[in-house]
Amino acid sequence: MPWFIYLALKQLFPSGKRFPFFTVISVFGVALGVMVLIVTTSVMGGFHYGIEQMIVNSQGQVQVKSATQIVDYPAVVRQVEKVPGVVAASPYAYSSVMVQYQGRPVYPFLTGIDPGSIEKVANLRKYMVIGSIDDLDDDSVIVGSALAESLGVTVGDTIEIYSPLIIQKLEHDELFLPRSVHVVGIIEFGHQQLDTSNVYCTLRLAQDLYGLQSNVHGLYVRLQDGLNEDEGAKRINAVLPENIRAYSWEDSWSDFLWVLGLEKSMIFFMLFIIVIVAAFSVTSSLLISVIRKTREIGLLGALGASPRQVAACFCIQGLFIGVLGTAVGLGLGFGALAIRNDVVMGIARATERAEVLQRFYQFSQLPAHTSESDVVLTIVLTIVVSTLAGLLPAWRAARLKPVEALRNE
Amino acid sequence: MNEPALSAHGVRKSYPSGDRRIEVLRGIDLAVEAGTSVSIRGESGSGKSTLLHLLAGLDAPDAGTLHWGGSPDTGPARRADFLGMVFQSFYLIPELDAHANVLMARRIQGGIGPAARARAKDLLARVGLSERGHHLPTQLSGGERQRVAVARALMNSPRLLLADEPTGNLDEGSGDAVIDLLLGLCRETGTALVLVTHNAAYARKTGRQFLLREGQLHEVLDSQPPVTG
Repeated sequence: MPWFIYLALKQLFPSGKRFPFFTVISVFGVALGVMVLIVTTSVMGGFHYGIEQMIVNSQGQVQVKSATQIVDYPAVVRQVEKVPGVVAASPYAYSSVMVQYQGRPVYPFLTGIDPGSIEKVANLRKYMVIGSIDDLDDDSVIVGSALAESLGVTVGDTIEIYSPLIIQKLEHDELFLPRSVHVVGIIEFGHQQLDTSNVYCTLRLAQDLYGLQSNVHGLYVRLQDGLNEDEGAKRINAVLPENIRAYSWEDSWSDFLWVLGLEKSMIFFMLFIIVIVAAFSVTSSLLISVIRKTREIGLLGALGASPRQVAACFCIQGLFIGVLGTAVGLGLGFGALAIRNDVVMGIARATERAEVLQRFYQFSQLPAHTSESDVVLTIVLTIVVSTLAGLLPAWRAARLKPVEALRNE
Repeated sequence: MNEPALSAHGVRKSYPSGDRRIEVLRGIDLAVEAGTSVSIRGESGSGKSTLLHLLAGLDAPDAGTLHWGGSPDTGPARRADFLGMVFQSFYLIPELDAHANVLMARRIQGGIGPAARARAKDLLARVGLSERGHHLPTQLSGGERQRVAVARALMNSPRLLLADEPTGNLDEGSGDAVIDLLLGLCRETGTALVLVTHNAAYARKTGRQFLLREGQLHEVLDSQPPVTG
């Protein structure tokens, strides 16, 4: 082992009974920053992952859309399903409607799905809280949980759906009556936007209400596991005409995902300040060490050490603190994640707000999803910053001339 | 013909002081053969330490030449091989025990193995510290620390040993022991010794004595009356 690594380790962990206060405090500072970063990015990742699963399970990984309508959709479905990597495609019709129950109107989106093929691309069944998707027919609907709650409807109630066609028909002095349908199910995705504004019906009912005849607005597409959504959309676009385009779920939700990503990045960099503050503390401690060890640095020069080796000795101490702090921080972070639900529920129970928490976040457990890229970014940035923290003391040590350092006697 | 372990010719050194320069060394000529010892005495501020640092290659002279074993290379890598140094304040590394401090000289030279560990142990035994190898510097007395420093200086079998007031921080008994140890080991290993000291008695124990006065070295012959420094 080169002497400067050996001495750096010995200075961090001296022999004998001397407790390495400087090392422990520096490592703990870095570890604290890493722990907070791991916990925060994992919880944010958990929310993000939950939303991704919810979108993919309700709409497939890719949506095929047309600016107007897709004519002869069975042909397009066949075309799309022939694309390598595509598992299945299912048609949908989608527009806003007015729903009225006991004189109270709301304006949700009504999505017409094909009960025969929707389960090949989406897993709506997973989100049903009351009723079953099997009960859906041309005279019934499934309502989002928050919407049902605001309207006060439940399974078995009858609601009226007013199509946007009513206005068009009125222009031609025609009467288009609202459609009375039964509620056969309540669905809950755990996402405020979807649960307050979504109603599902059969494709045929939606085609009737929107005057589409046999046309549809688009297709939901399921890809093989492991195939990237953007790649899947690219392959599908290659076989589709110009007026029909495929979009990955990330494209379709790009604004929402951008905001989520921005939020996560901002929180990451704000919390990374903890690591930077810890790095300043490492710099300060190492600078004091350089001043305290001026004569020893002179001695090393007298023994034949080069300035570059002396610099490496201090720089490596920053590196070791970074590596050790990162390792301890990862351990603490994953440990904190393991007991996160106990902590959150403990706080909620202590404040008697457990139900409020569950209702507000729609999660019975605090989600956590640790992405490899977040962990790698945290590790790399922390180690780089800690090593940089050792540069200034290292530079100062390297500039010390042995003769001047020894004269310090 | 063997080159002297150390030869210095016409070495000059001055330092700025306000708008003028103070000439500390005004043409030093010195040659020390392998296995011999010289002492340099002088008043405080006469330039003894400056001269020793120049001889160690730690500082550059304004003029003159310095050769170690006939070579002008006095850089860090050669210093680790050729030179050993002992200081008044010992300069042991506080985080390392006595054995590790002695080994440090070899680590800087380029790595250690079982032979180096054995040599460090042997050197500690020769300076009378065979039982103190695992003691930290803070657990040793001043005399013991200086003996560790002597062992460290000899670790790489240097051809030249420079000692700067090695007894300055020791009591008389410990000082005598350290000087005898230095002279004995140098004689035994054929190492050339340059001893900077205030103590005339210690100076007399070396083969040749010099007095540094007004920037120049004056050799003191045994027939001359004792010089106070």
